[in-house]
Amino acid sequence: MQIQVKCSCGGEKCPEWAIIELQGVVEVQPWYEGRPLHNLQIGTLCRPSSQENYTLTIGYHELTGSKVTLKKPLVVLQKVKPTPPGTPNTSNPSSSPQVELDVVGIIRHKILFKTRPKALISS
Amino acid sequence: MEQQLGSSSFQGPEAVLNMQPSSSIGIAYHPLFGSHPDLILLELDDKLLPDLLLHQRVSLRGQPDEDAVLCTQSKTYAIKFVGTSNSALLVPPSHLYQLSQNSQHQEPDTIIPDDGKLIVPIIQVAPGNMELLEVAPRLDKLKLLLSQKPYSYEEALEDMEKDDKTGLYRWPDLVDMVQASNGELENGLMALSALEIDGYWRIVDEEYMDMILRMLLQNSILNEWSLDELDEDEVVSVLVADGFPCNIARHCLHVYGSKVVDGTVGRNAWRLDARRVGVHFARAILRSGKMKMDNFMEEWLRKIPEGMNVSFSMLEGEVLTDKFGVETWVYAFRVSSLPSTPAERFAMLFRERSRWEWKDLEPYIRDLKVPGLSSEGLLLKYTRRTQPTADAEPVFSAR
Ligand SMILES: [Zn+2]
Repeated sequence: MQIQVKCSCGGEKCPEWAIIELQGVVEVQPWYEGRPLHNLQIGTLCRPSSQENYTLTIGYHELTGSKVTLKKPLVVLQKVKPTPPGTPNTSNPSSSPQVELDVVGIIRHKILFKTRPKALISS
Repeated sequence: MEQQLGSSSFQGPEAVLNMQPSSSIGIAYHPLFGSHPDLILLELDDKLLPDLLLHQRVSLRGQPDEDAVLCTQSKTYAIKFVGTSNSALLVPPSHLYQLSQNSQHQEPDTIIPDDGKLIVPIIQVAPGNMELLEVAPRLDKLKLLLSQKPYSYEEALEDMEKDDKTGLYRWPDLVDMVQASNGELENGLMALSALEIDGYWRIVDEEYMDMILRMLLQNSILNEWSLDELDEDEVVSVLVADGFPCNIARHCLHVYGSKVVDGTVGRNAWRLDARRVGVHFARAILRSGKMKMDNFMEEWLRKIPEGMNVSFSMLEGEVLTDKFGVETWVYAFRVSSLPSTPAERFAMLFRERSRWEWKDLEPYIRDLKVPGLSSEGLLLKYTRRTQPTADAEPVFSAR
């Protein structure tokens, strides 16, 4: 079986994606657990000065980090089935459905927060 | 519902990557946030990007029961998933994952504040990414597939094309079934002396090749052809008259000869290769079992055409010798019949012999190519080297 990797723009304008990376896992407040996460705000990303240093405030914690360039780029691939959904599969049922991988983006940089969170003490 | 944000309010990755000093943005879960198993992050060398993006010649290959490999035009890579315990929050471009007006994901109790702050949405927490590791192509399977039904004299005699195509493979079938890049597959077919017959890639049965080679040599005596300068058209037309198909006659020149670079226009000349002809007859003689060295040499040299210079050393990687008392015996042991993965290759070698001298071993590992591992590295990994004295020949045994 062969799965073709395609890029619809021919490499001309593959959109850049970004990664915000931090240690550990982001957890929601206990009172919010079980509710849908969609649209929920995680925190605030700040660039305090002209240096490539950043802070990320999540709840009462603050992380400090910096923008880094990846040693090797990451390509974002998306599995796609070219046959539109709902079309009856007329081909041999024993053959696996034709799948393609689409290049939907490329990642060259991330904002990396390597430090453990620091508690913000309110006055 | 002022608190609801349409996709147009969301910023893309550029808001994160090109943040202005003394500014801030909100990070929020995208209305379509989820595990998105259809997304794959693939780490790869910058030098592979043009293959992937520009030329679009990259594909994943493998059967359902095999680990998929990634193939460029010329190389094969294993794919390894590398997980992370960090949280990699993925920010997609804003034109992807747009919301329809009445998306079910838009919660009425959204808690994104409406204070005019820019919001960057997270679509997924990436569980890790894929990495590539260059590997040798899995060509043993190609050999296995093509060996199922070699093209034989009997088949060549049949005029009608047979309907039964089981065990026969076209190029797209091979691409589907063999984990190798197109370039490696082409080289593999060449190394197997395969040819395309009626659209199917075939290897020709050894006995059939023997028939046609002997016929060619007989004709060269009858017609006083020079084996260093065989005229392709003449050879082919004579062999066709003797009952061989044209494509097999041409194939014979390809297998046992090399093209003579000649300025004469419109004429293809071939020189028979002493080593390949010698190997062919050694195989034919030893097919029935091992022989005493003297008998073998006598029979072998009798089969070699007049004027062709051969020596026993040409049979490196084809035969081994054993000493029993004063007698030396020769037997067939072909490197081309051994597995191409190092672990299996060394296992077979040490099953054949527990101890190898370097001069005997070298022809059997010369062709092993493991990306990132030198031949010294291979020996260190798979053999134990002993050298009784400093000037003695080193001996290799299993680890
Ligand atoms: Zn693209």
